[in-house]
Amino acid sequence: MKKLSGNTKDLLREIKAEAADMPVLERRNFLLRGLQLTAGTAFAMSAARVMASDSSLPPNVPIWTKSLGRGVVSEPYGKPSRYEDDVIRRTVSWLTATPQSSISMTPIHEMKGIITPSGLVFERYHAGLPDVNPDEHRLMIHGMVKNPITLTMEDLMRFPSESVIHFLECPANGGMEWHGTQMEALQFTHGMLSCCEWTGVKLSTILDEVGISPDAKWVLAEGADGATMTRSIPIEKALDDTLVVYAQNGEKLRPEQGYPVRLFNPGWEGNTSIKWLRRLEVGDKPWYQREETSKYTDLMPDGKARKFSFIQEGNSVITSPCPERPMLKKGVHELEGIAWSGRGTIKRVDVSFDGGVSWRQAKLKGLVLPKAITRFSLEINWQGEPLLLQSRSIDDSGYVQPTLAQLKSVRGSNSIYHKNSIHTWKLDTDGTVSNVQLG
Amino acid sequence: MFNWDNKKLSKAILFISIFATPQIVWSQDAGYYGLGEPATKSEIAGWDIDVRPDGQGLPEGSGSVSHGEELYDAKCASCHGAFGEGEGRWPKLAGGMGTLNKAKPDKTVGSYWPYASTLWDYIHRAMPFTAPQSLTADETYSLTAYVLYLNGIVEEDFELTHDNFTQIEMPNKDGFYVDDRPDVKNPACMENCKDPKTIKITSAIKGITPLDHVSQKQKSNKKNSSEHDAQNSNKQEELSKESSINIGRDIYGNSCAICHGQGVAGAPKFGEKLAWESRITKGLEILKQHALEGYTGESGVMPAKGGNPSLTEQEINAAVSYMIESIH
Repeated sequence: MKKLSGNTKDLLREIKAEAADMPVLERRNFLLRGLQLTAGTAFAMSAARVMASDSSLPPNVPIWTKSLGRGVVSEPYGKPSRYEDDVIRRTVSWLTATPQSSISMTPIHEMKGIITPSGLVFERYHAGLPDVNPDEHRLMIHGMVKNPITLTMEDLMRFPSESVIHFLECPANGGMEWHGTQMEALQFTHGMLSCCEWTGVKLSTILDEVGISPDAKWVLAEGADGATMTRSIPIEKALDDTLVVYAQNGEKLRPEQGYPVRLFNPGWEGNTSIKWLRRLEVGDKPWYQREETSKYTDLMPDGKARKFSFIQEGNSVITSPCPERPMLKKGVHELEGIAWSGRGTIKRVDVSFDGGVSWRQAKLKGLVLPKAITRFSLEINWQGEPLLLQSRSIDDSGYVQPTLAQLKSVRGSNSIYHKNSIHTWKLDTDGTVSNVQLG
Repeated sequence: MFNWDNKKLSKAILFISIFATPQIVWSQDAGYYGLGEPATKSEIAGWDIDVRPDGQGLPEGSGSVSHGEELYDAKCASCHGAFGEGEGRWPKLAGGMGTLNKAKPDKTVGSYWPYASTLWDYIHRAMPFTAPQSLTADETYSLTAYVLYLNGIVEEDFELTHDNFTQIEMPNKDGFYVDDRPDVKNPACMENCKDPKTIKITSAIKGITPLDHVSQKQKSNKKNSSEHDAQNSNKQEELSKESSINIGRDIYGNSCAICHGQGVAGAPKFGEKLAWESRITKGLEILKQHALEGYTGESGVMPAKGGNPSLTEQEINAAVSYMIESIH
């Protein structure tokens, strides 16, 4: 890996900051000279070459205009442009003992609109990514039912289907920062989040088909991975909006998202939406599996813990600017962010520039759907002043996103999950953005 | 214009008129769609592995603390530690009593888990990490008994059985209550919400998150074609230089570290000279062959391709080279 020494990095940052207000040509020459100063690193050399060429810019005509492009199906399954190769999932390796039981994060600083491309949806595995053959996969439904059955994928897809757009979020999203800031970029502070169109069968349709006992109270969902990951789902949710999903964003589920079939519980913590779903057992009590006792329970300051803490409460974060997207110039900027709530629809988002002393209402943009990522924006004219940027969402249940101090006053700092507090970015005079907490 | 003759066309119309009006469905009873096959008792028995706190799902069988200790030392201690203390970031299983309301709570089986059934169920379904669903019911009883013993919940001579299982009481059985959120109310103040003088900043801990992509992005904000050509050729050079090391490290992390990281199942531990010496004397080619095709030695078993058949020979070689270069 190329790595700049701390000094070189600082130098480059200073050079860039100084160049920010210069006219284009002057800036390029200035930057070039600056980079030559730091020559000796491979990075600086390649960057210098980069900036030296303007053969594609007007009045010149670029090479792609003066040549023939590729034919159809030269790429039968299309990929993003090669210039977008830094838009990828990333992980923080020290978080977990092994990549098989770990998590990666969505590059939400690069996302537009509300849909997360399937290949960028964060991953969470408890025993690695299984390679499931759909022809040899079965979904078994049994327990307190009249007719226990096994379904092939073909059977499953013959049930009437529904498509919904909902967010999917790990309850540990942001959970590394109960004790203080640890993550230096938006992808890591909030990237255990995605929003897709999901297509499948309502679980209630399948439960009607097998005929459940009047005493049924819970459904155990189980995956076909090496963890045979399990969660107990209350029957009220199962009969309400839970889906058995086989497609995502118009195509079959990605392996990372549970191919060929997963459960999907809208608005609830991601781990309840069991991937690689192989079994649904109907019962009268919860099973108290490992992932609903040892994990995914929220320890309170008195030593007691909340169980079955399913809902992902109202949340929001500013995505531009953010550490990955600093303010490179003074002037008018569209400040943008995303908000979401597992209780329902985002009604309003407020933005503060002074660390929560005063707030202004932002505009909601594009599709505003229940239990989905909702985009907000506000135009600002930034003249280099330092700011403490915050956003605060309000959903249609009336829930207002709390401050971290409010959450900690009730929950202390050891609950790991469900940290949905107002997030603060510190914008410095040079346009750089860093992750801070306010006391 | 379509070039159908009249005969074909009339057949087509006939076909449509017979099949174009399916019955419309009004109500839904059990079995209405008639989809799937009945799940037989033996099919269900093969997959229905869950165990509830009331003992539902627990198979016949038994196991002792002493047998559990043998199994634990062979199959579990390399990750969970000889006394359940947890190696590295692997889960700690024992201890931590009385710490749940402290600044640094220690959530173990003994201090936190409310039911012994969860322990039995989880060991049986998902452990050992590299070989889930490989333990028999009796082995699972033994290991459960031993982990309970490590936590002081049962005595050294205890035998756990199907019949005495539900009598086990976990120390933290009353430690949980159903989620009672929303638990805070933010009044959504708009003006003069706090005194600006009281705002203090806790700054970020620097240098612990991977940020190369952020600094690179910011350095090359203006892009043009030759930039990408330059970047590309640069990338190629880098790849050829570093690819073997990088590929080897990635493969190791994803496929080999589970066993070789801690020395699980007799695997030579990563970086440990003593463990590797005798292997290296056999020669690099033999090592690569064993890694590729699998090998059964005195201390343990190396599965072919480390149990990951999707790896190529080149990737296996890179991983072996990386592991050998990392010996000190």
